[in-house]
This record gives sequence, C-alpha cells and structure tokens, in this order.
Amino acid sequence: MNHITAVQCTRLTKFFGEIRAVENLELAVQQGEILALLGPSGCGKTTVLRLIAGFEVPDAGRVEIGGRLVSGPGVFLPPERRRVGMVFQDYALFPHMTVAENVAYGLGRGKGQAARVRDMLALVDLGDVADRLPHELSGGQQQRVALARALAPRPDVLLLDEPFSNLDAGLRKQVREEVLDILKATGTTAILVTHDQEEALFMGDRVAILNAGRLEQVGTPEEIFHHPATRFVAEFMGHTGFLPARVTADGLETELGFLPQRLPLPPGTQVDMLVRPDDLTLRPDPTGTARVERRIFQGMHHLHRVVLPSGRTVHCLTLHTEHYAPGTRVRVELTPGHALTCFQNGLAVGAEEDEHHVPNAAATAVMWPEYSR
Amino acid sequence: MAELTITRSRTRSFGRGARPGRVPLPASWMTLALWGLAIMVAGAVLLPTTYLLVRTLDAGTAAWGLVFQARTAQILGRTAWLALTVTVASAAIAVPLAWLTVRTDLPFRRLWAVLTALPLVIPSYVGAYLVVAALGPRGMVQQWLEELVGISRLPDIYGFPGALLVLTMLSYPYTLLIVRAALLRLDPALEEASRSLGYGPWTTFWRVTLPQLRPALAAGSLLVALYTLRDFGAVSIMRYNTFTRVIYIQYQSTFDRAAAAALSLVLVALSLGVLVLEVRTQRRARYHRSRGKSARARPVTRLGPWRWPALLFCATVVSVSLVLPAGVLLYWLVRGLRAGQELTPLWLATRNSVLASGAAAVATLVAALPVAVLNVRRPGRLSHLVERLTYTGFALPGVVIALALVFFGARYARPLYQTLPMLIFAYVILFLPQAVGAVRASLLQVHPSLEETARSLGRRPWQVFTTITMPLVWPGAAAGMGLVFLTTMKELPATLILGPLGFKTLSTLVWSAVSEAFFAQAAAPALLLILVSSVPMTLFILKEHGEET
Amino acid sequence: MSRHIAKVMFAVLGWLLVACASAAQPTPQAAPADEAQGAAEPVRQVEGATPQTLTIYSGRSENLVGPIIEQFREASGIDVQVRWGKTAELAATLLEEGANSPADIFFAQDPGGLGAVAGMLAPLPEDILERVDPRFRDPEGRWVGISGRARVIVYNTERVRPEDLPDDLWGFTDPTWKGRIGWAPTNASFQTMVTAMRVAWGEEKTRQWLEGILANEPKVYEKNTPIVAAAGAGEIDVGFVNHYYLYRFLQEEGESFPARNYFLPGGGPGSLVMVAGAGVLESSANKEAAYKFLRFMLSPVAQQYFATQTFEYPLVEGVRTHRELPPLSELNVIQINLADLADLQGTVRLLSEVGALP
Repeated sequence: MNHITAVQCTRLTKFFGEIRAVENLELAVQQGEILALLGPSGCGKTTVLRLIAGFEVPDAGRVEIGGRLVSGPGVFLPPERRRVGMVFQDYALFPHMTVAENVAYGLGRGKGQAARVRDMLALVDLGDVADRLPHELSGGQQQRVALARALAPRPDVLLLDEPFSNLDAGLRKQVREEVLDILKATGTTAILVTHDQEEALFMGDRVAILNAGRLEQVGTPEEIFHHPATRFVAEFMGHTGFLPARVTADGLETELGFLPQRLPLPPGTQVDMLVRPDDLTLRPDPTGTARVERRIFQGMHHLHRVVLPSGRTVHCLTLHTEHYAPGTRVRVELTPGHALTCFQNGLAVGAEEDEHHVPNAAATAVMWPEYSR
Repeated sequence: MAELTITRSRTRSFGRGARPGRVPLPASWMTLALWGLAIMVAGAVLLPTTYLLVRTLDAGTAAWGLVFQARTAQILGRTAWLALTVTVASAAIAVPLAWLTVRTDLPFRRLWAVLTALPLVIPSYVGAYLVVAALGPRGMVQQWLEELVGISRLPDIYGFPGALLVLTMLSYPYTLLIVRAALLRLDPALEEASRSLGYGPWTTFWRVTLPQLRPALAAGSLLVALYTLRDFGAVSIMRYNTFTRVIYIQYQSTFDRAAAAALSLVLVALSLGVLVLEVRTQRRARYHRSRGKSARARPVTRLGPWRWPALLFCATVVSVSLVLPAGVLLYWLVRGLRAGQELTPLWLATRNSVLASGAAAVATLVAALPVAVLNVRRPGRLSHLVERLTYTGFALPGVVIALALVFFGARYARPLYQTLPMLIFAYVILFLPQAVGAVRASLLQVHPSLEETARSLGRRPWQVFTTITMPLVWPGAAAGMGLVFLTTMKELPATLILGPLGFKTLSTLVWSAVSEAFFAQAAAPALLLILVSSVPMTLFILKEHGEET
Repeated sequence: MSRHIAKVMFAVLGWLLVACASAAQPTPQAAPADEAQGAAEPVRQVEGATPQTLTIYSGRSENLVGPIIEQFREASGIDVQVRWGKTAELAATLLEEGANSPADIFFAQDPGGLGAVAGMLAPLPEDILERVDPRFRDPEGRWVGISGRARVIVYNTERVRPEDLPDDLWGFTDPTWKGRIGWAPTNASFQTMVTAMRVAWGEEKTRQWLEGILANEPKVYEKNTPIVAAAGAGEIDVGFVNHYYLYRFLQEEGESFPARNYFLPGGGPGSLVMVAGAGVLESSANKEAAYKFLRFMLSPVAQQYFATQTFEYPLVEGVRTHRELPPLSELNVIQINLADLADLQGTVRLLSEVGALP
C-alpha cells in the first residue's frame, strides 16, 4: 500500500465561544484508508469533519486535502471547491428530487453524467428505484443513495457523519458491510465519525479517539483495543472494569491475587489495572469470598456480575454452558494470558506502549505510530 | 453492558441545534448580497419611523404636549386591552377550529377549513359596517327578530364589544392559518406517547399538543395583535378609541401632522412591546426542526356525538364572520338592482387589484427572503434585529406609512412618486412580516445538512439556494405570498395616497361607495373582492390538506 | 410546477416594473395612470404649449363629482387625472409634498381641509371669486366654494313629529331628548358647526351646549352616513348631519325610508350653510387649465349638476335648487363668513375638554 497522504490536519483548533470543540488536532489519513473518528457525543468529532469539509472556519491550524491547502492562514476554500463527499446522519437527500436526480446533482451537465449516475446506482444496487422520490425508499436504500450521491463526483475524500445511526440494529450490520465493500471496491479514502466503538473497530483501518476536542489515541483497531493509551480510551472501548493494584518488585498485588507483571514504577505505587471480563475466571466455591450478583445471558456467553469482599464489582465471562445463579459463592481469578494495561493518573503505564500514548497535558507532542500493516 | 462503561461524556455537550453560528463560513458574495439586501430592507422598513421622528422633532416640544397627558395613558390602556382581548379571543376560536379541521372526523372538514379562513379577505371598514347593519340595535337581525318574537331593540354593540367582535372575526384567520399549518406538521408520535402514558385525548391536547403549538400560536397572535393596533376601520365605526383612531382624529380634525407623528411613535413603542413579548414565547422553540414528513398518517379523533356541538361551533363562526357580511352585501346588491341602479363595470378595478396584489406578493417575498434566510441560517443579533424591525411597519396605521412615503418620495424619488412601483414598495413595508414569518417557519423545517450536502457536491451558494433551498421553502413562501396578496387586495389608505393617478382597485371602489352611502354600488365590488380573494385562499387550503392526507 | 408559478410571478413583477419605469419617463403623472387604466384614453400631448393635463386631489367622492369632472374633460379637451381620497388625508399629503406636489387643484369636502393647505394655494382670479357670495369663499381669495351643504336635523318620522322639534340647536339640551340624539364629534362638518357656535354664541355658551348634549347621552357615530342610517333604523330619533345624505338613502331604499331632514328655522349656528370648495396649488405649472376647471365648476351646467345629482345647494345665482330642497333663500341661514370658521384647533380643544373627543 502506498503512503500518499489524502487528508492532513495540522494543529487544527476550533472554539465556539468559550466552548472548546477541537484543539491542536493532528491527523493524517492515507489514500485509500478508512479512518474512524470515535468519541462520545459532544467530543468534537463532527466539528473535525465539518472543518475538513469546509462548513466551519478553523480558529487556527491547517487542513490539506490531496496535497492542496484548503484551509490555513489566509486560505479558506469553500466546501464546493474542496472535492469532498459528505454523507450525513440523516442522509440529507433532497426530498424534491428523484434518486437519479439526487445522484446527478454533484455532476456537471456533461455527456458522461447519465452514465455515471447509472454506474453509481448499479454500484449501490439501486438501479431499479432511480425514478423514485427519497421518501419512498427504505432507510437502508436512502443510505445507499446518499453514498452514491457523495461518491458520484469522485471526491478526494468521503466524510461520513454517523452514517448508520438512523438504521435499526439488524439493518445496521448489513448496511455497514455493504458500505465497507463499496468503499474498498472503489478505493475510497474516507473519514467516518461515530460514537459506536464496535462500528469504529469494524469499519476503520485505523481508529482515532477524540475526547473533549483532543485526540487521545490513533491506531489500528487492535492497538486501540489491546493497548489503550489512556484510561479514557480504555473506558470508551467498553467491556471495561478497573481493579486497583499495588506495584511490587516482582509484579502487581490486587484484591484477586498476585500478577507477575512488572511495571517500571517504584514499588508501592498504586495503579488502576484494566480488566476485561475475559481476563477473569470464575469458579464455584462455597468458601469463596465473592458472590454472584447477577447473571446476564448474551447468547454465546454469560456475563456474571460479581461482588468482591471489598464491595467492588467485576464482570466475568463464561461460556454459555457454564453459568451460576445469583447468590452463588464463587472464587475469581486473574487469568489474562497477556499483559494487562495499567493506568496511573489516567495514562497508560508501560515502556513498550509508551509511543501510543498521547498525553493530554502536552497536546503539542501528538504522535502516532508510522502507519503499517 | 452499560454497567461496565463508565461515564462517557465529560465535556459540556453542544449538540447540533444549540451550537451557535450554524454555518459561520466566511462571507461569500452571496452572503454579502443577502446582507446588503437585508440591510436595504431594514432601511426601507425604518423609513416610516424616521419620518415620524423628523415630524415630531420638527414640531419641538409642542407635539409631545399631546402625548404626555393622562388621557394618553388611558387610551394606551384601552388599546392594549383591545389588542389583548382580540388576540385571546382569536386564539380561542382559532385553536379549536384548527384542531377540528385537522385532527377529527368532523363532517365536511375541508369545506369548513376553507370557509373559516375566508373572513381574512374582508376589509375591516366593510366588516364593521356590515356588522352594524346586521347586528346594530335596530339592524337587520333585530328587524327579523321583531317579526318573529317582537324584540324591538338589540343591546348596543358599539364601543368595546363591537370592536372586539369585528376585529376578532376578521383577524382570527391569521392564528388559524398558522396554527393549522403547525398542527399538520406535528409529529403524532408525541401525542401517541402521551396517550400510552395514560392520558386521555383532552389532557393530551392540553399538555402535549398545545405546548407544541405555542410558537405557531405566538406567531399568529403577533399578527393579530399588531393588526388590532393598526386597524382604523373597525374601531372608528365601532367608536372605540384606540391609538390609531386618535392618530386619525389628529389628521382629520386639526391637520396636525406633528401631533399625529408623536402619537404614532407611541404606537411604535407599543408594538415593540408586543414584539418583545412574542420573542419571549418563541425563543425556546427556535430550533425545533423536523427532518421531513412524518410517515404516519395523522391520528383522527372520532367526535361521536360531540360532532353536533362541533358543527354548531363551526357554523356559528362561519355565520357571524362570513355569511352575515356576505349576506348583507347580497341584500344591498339585490335591493339596488331591484331599484334599477346601474352597476359600474368592475373589470378594470379587478384587474388592477389582482395585478397590484400579485406584484406586491412577489416583491414582498423577494424582500422577505434575505431577512428570513439570514435570520434562520446566520442567527445573531443583527439578523435578529432586522427580522424584528420588519414588524414595525405592520403595527402602524396605513396612512402613516403612506405619508412617510409621500415625504420621502416627493422629495427624493420624484420620478417614482405615485407610480405603481412606489405603491408596491409601500405594500412591501406594510405586509412584510407576513411573508417573513411564513418563509422563516418553512426554512426552519429545512435541515441545513441539505444545503451543506449540496455545497460539498460542488455547487456554489447561489446554486444551492436556487436548486435546494428555494424549492423546499416554496410551500411556506407561497403561503406568505398568499397572505400578502389577500391583505393587499383589501388595503386602502396607501392605495389612495400612493397609487398612480386614477388607479382604482376593488377596495377603493368599495370605500368610495360606502363612504357616501351608495350601498348597492359598494356591494358589487365588495362581493367581488371577497370572491377573487377566496380563489387563492381555497386553493392554498385544499393543497395544504391534500398534501398531508 | 411550483417553480413555474414562481417564474410567472417574477415575470409579471418584472413586466410591471419595466412598464411603470418606462412609462414614467415622458409624462410622469399621466402615463403610469394610463398604463394602470389599460390605456382607456390616450394621453393628449400638445406640442409646445403647456401640458394639458390637470391633476386634481379630490376629497369629494368619485360617485358624486366624477361625472361632472368627466363632462369637463369632454368639454375642454383637457385630460384630467384625479386622486380620490379623504379630504384630511389628501391635505396631509399635500403638506408633505410641499412644492413637489404633482397636484394642480385641491377639491375638498370642507373649508377646514382647504384652510389647512391655504399657505400652498395661489390667489384666484377675481372673475372666479366673484361668482359666489363672499360668505362662501376665502377672504384672501385662495379658495372658492363650489357647492353648498346645509346643517340639518335628520329625524325618524315614526318616532318624532316635525312640530315637536325645537327651533334651534339649544333646544336639544332639553332632557326630553335624553338617549335620542346621534352625533359625530369627529366629523369635520360637525366641528365646523361647533366653530360657528363659538363665533355666534361665544366659548362659554358653546361649552354649555356641548355639556347639555353630553348630559343627554348622545349616540356617537363616525360620520354623517351612519347617523342617517341609524335615524332611519330607529336606533336614534334625531341626528345632527349635513342635508344631502338623506336623499341617497331615499334613492337607495325608497320613499318609505322613515327619516327626513329638518332645517332649523331659528337662524342660529344650527342653520349653517357650508361649502365644499377648491383651490389651485401655487406650485402648479398648469394654472390656466386649473382656472378653466374652476370656472367650469361654477358654470350653470356644473352648478345644475350639483343641484340635481348630489342634492347640494348651487352657489351661483340663477341656478335652481333641487325640488325636494327648500331653496337657500327660504332658509333662515346664519350670516357668517366661512373664513371666520378657521379656528378648528380651538374647537377640537373644546370638544376634548368637555370629553366629546378622545
């Protein structure tokens, strides 16, 4: 894969009055790559998209698209000259135009127009509804029209703002696979904004996590999931519990026992250890000090909420064949099979993960690993 | 798995709607043009106030002597009281009518929808005259009753009751039209939610539907209140002293323009008060946007036996506000024809009326667009101020606006003075808020993402405006144009003073005949005026109903 | 579809603007009006000579004076354009226009309107002024009365016998008239009558009369027409009006209309005869044509028209009054110069003080 930068944001900053939307954002998207911009609502991710699209004017920083400076000191290209495609959460289909007219809207009146519309509708498999009006289509079909319309003028980058959130759960999975196929088939560079971590992990070649206008971490889905750089990222990726641990010379001491994992911290330091439900093993034990509080059936698995002697609760995953009724006395053991990420003051601790970490306090030193697969 | 994910949102949320400055792009030439036009419109609507200031300052302190006296406060109180009661009464008539014609199985719903909106087309001096002729102490109704049951005298309707009755019956359609449009757009899911929570239709209406209609109710009430402030015809015939009547008396009796101007400024102040009140009710509703038509059909309340009182209510309103005036006019016409009176041909006046009103409707829309677009898409102090300013012209009596334009026109625009463009300019100042309000309301329904999409697809702002915004705003714009058309059809003082020489409209024909007691001569153009105005009104309402059902 | 409507509307607007703007070039006043009237009559352009177009601001109704103006147009060949309106509003318009006024003539309902713009009027030639009695014209010669109207009492014939009516206005302060009177204190003619009272009776007696009438709880009307209507309907028994409105009702509703006029025989301010009159604007570039118009209006033809068609009193010697009207000579008319009735401000102040006006 070549490494041409399709979109480059440099120290991008935007305030709405007193409210910080984006601050000192550094972001690069490679050609053909899909970047998922993930964060809680209000974190500024949509603003980033709108800054790139040209719907907002940054207070500082630069935006380059396809090597062209579109926004920077003294430069501001209006949206229509940026060659970006946009898919909105509500699809924003023009209600007074047919499907074909919608798709044709961004194309010039040249000869190739009709053919391009036909091709795009074929691509999204909507050739037979070309003459319908948007409100006559299902949600999934509307979604695909919006996609075809945005892709028709061959944009340098496609921006998708929560594109699946208006679809119901069953449809969402199917549509997002279709969209991913189309984006990959057309080699489209895309930035996808979402608040759904599962969607980000599924769609993104890389995932960028935004919190309160600042980038927390950028990396492949695996990196983000397994090596969250900050406690915020860890929390946001879900399925997360934290267990306090004390650093000793040989490893970590926790309520669930000793873990032989060394940290480059002075002994006695208190850290928070990221524990996911699959890192724990549950055994029924009438003498156990822990007690099952609730059992949650998840189909393939059971999730048990367990109260520890300290009153803290943890979640443990068991196979669907193995489950315990609430009230059952149990013993919980740490069985991670990999190094667990520990956090001190909200930041991940550990030499080998250090470079993934984007410290909140020193926002200028934003870094991410050289993109490679 | 919510238990595991801990706090997600740490920052203050700034969701789409609440975000200040929705599209704060650097000013394109289109935006600059919009601002330029809007500022010009603001300048135009400020002309009357400027004139009033010039006149008042010219006169020095003398003019203010008339303003600052105890009587002024009393008249102010009476005026405000009339405006308040007419507004409340209009709402009390309009809201049930809107609900009955939109949300129930009332028999002949569409017919009622059309008929109840029509009184808007009756000029107030005609309406008041007809009400007196019919309901006066010894009017037609009394004579009728005398034959039937021997009632020799009806209670006096002059003064407050008469003014309230006439103004309510002529202006409630403002509230009705706006509330009905809002009711048609309302998402039924909210009412269904209320019903599912165990509330009956009545409680649901009060606690869910009505609060949602509040912005529409406020917008309609604003027009009604300002209409009441400016009206002269009804209050003069009903002899209720409002500010406008006192202003007219200054012109009429003492030809004292300075005193009239000083009093008019008080009226401007009063209208500003009303505007502030309306803003209070509207602010929170500003960003309620719907993203498209709701797919579901509107819920229909079955009236059951209640349909008889409902029908009676509709019939009463239509009888008093439409059948009665039209009946009196017909009676006059027939009586005159029987007496062998010849009717003057009306074709020319009809054509003039339609042409001038049509041109006024288009011109007003053109002036309203930049104001509404900036107000909705670039909310800010200035755009808000411009939008509010457009309403000041609506509260001033027509003669004040006309004289202001005489003042400026005769001095600075000689070639245009007393030409049709000048008259249409006056109409624009007079009726701008009706169009601004309508365009604004429908623009709020168009989500900005549609325009942004069009921009990102490579279209320039003006292209986006013509291919996306305008087609989508069109229903609202058409409604606004319709309202302007109707009110221009019946406008009198500006037409008389600023029209081209010899320019006769149906409205001036009616006036000149009524004022000299040529009733048969008045009846024909008045009926024609109502008839011609009914056509666009009927089409509009049928279309509105057709679209949503 | 809707876009087509929009296009058509814009096209119409554009056409209107272009039509008006281009028409406004050669003859600023006449052409646009002509455009508006559908070119009913081509504009007469007289080479070299003064433009033969006369612009009249008429506070008198078209139904009343339109036909006689039309006669003038035909007789003189001068194109006459009329702005119809209310006297007071047209006076205010003239005052705002000042020297820029397009008007040549102001034709007013009442002397008050003419008095308000007297400063803008040009002195009239003697031959015009001399046609009417000095009582009925401006002593400074700036306007002249065209037709006369008498103040009368209109009464309901079913509820009042004429012999029960008093000889002069003072009689209506008697409590027997309580609740039976209709008046219109905002009406210009009524106010002129009150001014006449102030001249004839003095301030104090006028005040007493007003208070006496107010004590009788009169019904207030906007102007004369509704008073006559109310008298006919029996809403009131008597009303203070101008004489000619009644005859329109008789025309419209037939002789059975149960109201008639009563000319007060006492010769006091209630027996006032006023005029509708006209003057020529100082700013007019067309004064000769304007004088021609006034001469025509004071010609026997026009005066006869007023006598027979509008039921007014002709002001020129030798023209016969309508047969249903008592001739001026038989009326015991108060001898008062209309020019002495200029102090409207004082009258309005008095009316306000006693509470008859807001």
